[in-house]
Amino acid sequence: MWSEVAGLFREYMGTGLMGIWYVLCLVWLWINEKCRPRRILFLYLPLALLFLYFNPLFAGVVYGVVGSEIYYRILWLLPITIVIAYTCACIYGRMAQEKRLRADLFALCAAGLIGISGSYVYSSPLFSRAENIYHVPDAVVEICDAIQVPGREVMAVFPLELVQYVRQYSPVTCMPYGRELTVNKWHYHNPLRDEMEREVIQMETLAPMATLTGCHYVIFRPGQKVRGKPEDYGWERFGEARGYVIYRNTAVELSAPAAGE
Amino acid sequence: MRIVAVQVLILILLLFPVPVAVGGLCARGDSGGSGLAFRWVGGQFLLWAGFQLICVPMILRQRRFSHMAMLFAGYTVLLLLLAAAVELRRRRREGAWSFLPARRAEGGKPGEGVLLWAVFWGLLLFQLVQAVRLAYGDTDDAYYVAVASVAENSDTMYQVLPYTGGGTQLDSRHGLAPFPLWIAFLAKLSGMRVVTVAQVALPVALIAMTYGIYRVFAAELFPASRGQQALFLIFTEILVLFGNYSIYTVENFMIARSRQGKAALGNIVIPFLLLLLLLLLRRLQEKERIPLALYALFGAAALTGCLCSTLGALLVCMAIGLAGLLGAVCYKRPGILPPLIACCLPCVAYAVLYLLFD
Repeated sequence: MWSEVAGLFREYMGTGLMGIWYVLCLVWLWINEKCRPRRILFLYLPLALLFLYFNPLFAGVVYGVVGSEIYYRILWLLPITIVIAYTCACIYGRMAQEKRLRADLFALCAAGLIGISGSYVYSSPLFSRAENIYHVPDAVVEICDAIQVPGREVMAVFPLELVQYVRQYSPVTCMPYGRELTVNKWHYHNPLRDEMEREVIQMETLAPMATLTGCHYVIFRPGQKVRGKPEDYGWERFGEARGYVIYRNTAVELSAPAAGE
Repeated sequence: MRIVAVQVLILILLLFPVPVAVGGLCARGDSGGSGLAFRWVGGQFLLWAGFQLICVPMILRQRRFSHMAMLFAGYTVLLLLLAAAVELRRRRREGAWSFLPARRAEGGKPGEGVLLWAVFWGLLLFQLVQAVRLAYGDTDDAYYVAVASVAENSDTMYQVLPYTGGGTQLDSRHGLAPFPLWIAFLAKLSGMRVVTVAQVALPVALIAMTYGIYRVFAAELFPASRGQQALFLIFTEILVLFGNYSIYTVENFMIARSRQGKAALGNIVIPFLLLLLLLLLRRLQEKERIPLALYALFGAAALTGCLCSTLGALLVCMAIGLAGLLGAVCYKRPGILPPLIACCLPCVAYAVLYLLFD
């Protein structure tokens, strides 16, 4: 248990450099901070929290209730940002009383050190330029708009890279599988997904599965290789959006509800 | 175009002036905290607390989303009327008729640190522009944003599978922390699409709110120097901007996943709670009476913690419990413990419900 908790702590601290600056700030505050409320909040409280965090009894109880995955969130209670920023501003203030230039130099160095020790938040590969005001791919917007039928839901099967966005944009577009199948550790299995994600889709296998799960539409990713003609299985090419090809599966009935229904 | 402008205007009203106006109710929670930022954040916490109290019972009783939205709108109007009455009484008593919030007398020269303040505002603007310009492909949004989208569209709460659609049994466990439904409420009232509210409007508002809390922190920590306040804020911005040293940090959550309840817990509820604790400890230090409004804010923060995440109940209780105990021991004031325990009671109630549904 202890090694697991310590592992989570290490993962939370990343390279550990920010953790080192935090500890150094705590030491500086321990020596220099005279204001008791700040000592309690910035020194005693984090120490008490860390004691609890590493306490196997406490960890055992919390693990049992909320699970091990989110135990690290207890570390959110450590005011790391506030303490480092406060300490830097305090040291700057002290230095500025004697020599302003030296204080400015300190502030620049401290900012530089933080920059080097951390990692630029926008450098994450998950960030991309938003394609529209909805922050979902244009393809999702265009496909969902194209296939929607006023007054009712439609069932459509999408390539895996789009499933996480579909129902954020269009709650009336249902899917036979969703984001749950993109998380490996959840160990969900769906034969339709397996077929959709094949390098070469076999229409012979896919068509009955799509009909069985009530899919009105099937969306193929750009350049998707398919063995067999979709038209031979009663599918109609409905349209195309950003390279994705939309097929209408006519074996599943799709009628708009009558007015007032 | 005109419709979009009206939608944006309603959303701005709901996210800024309304909480600021409601914040008038708690502006006297601490004499030092009557600034605009404190009113904005405090007001929003009172609204969130009410949302949690109204929403969870209605989810468990499987009521319609629109009924819940109507009730919460009524609660908001009630708080606004109450705040207006309190403000009027206060202004009449003080003989001042300006409706701008009273400015806190801050030390330091008026023009001190102008350059530093410019850097702070520049960095803040950069982050807000990035929140609109950049999309973050987080798969958790497939749950949280979809829950809001579905609620607004189907008029149900936690009764439709968010990932795929189709009816399901009430998801009571997630329903105990219905932060996504607040997003749905904003979308319903403004008429804007849920996904736009969640992915664009909320990150802007919530990132700004986090810095609003840091702004009040700065004023508390450096009351005599505006330059140091600005420097403190710049350092918090740099720490946030370079907070990607691990995917678990609150800074990462703040920039990348601000529309998710857990991000609000880490970046708004916990910093605000720490701020309240600082105000409480300062009062203890100065041997002053603890105003009721401050305890009310503790209660609101506890409820908001539960609104944001089921883990919020534990984190809020830990912070209030440990700091309260330290304060009571260090200042020999055990009298603060009963009201603090009372503030944590909602968390205990939600934790019990969580265990029952687990």
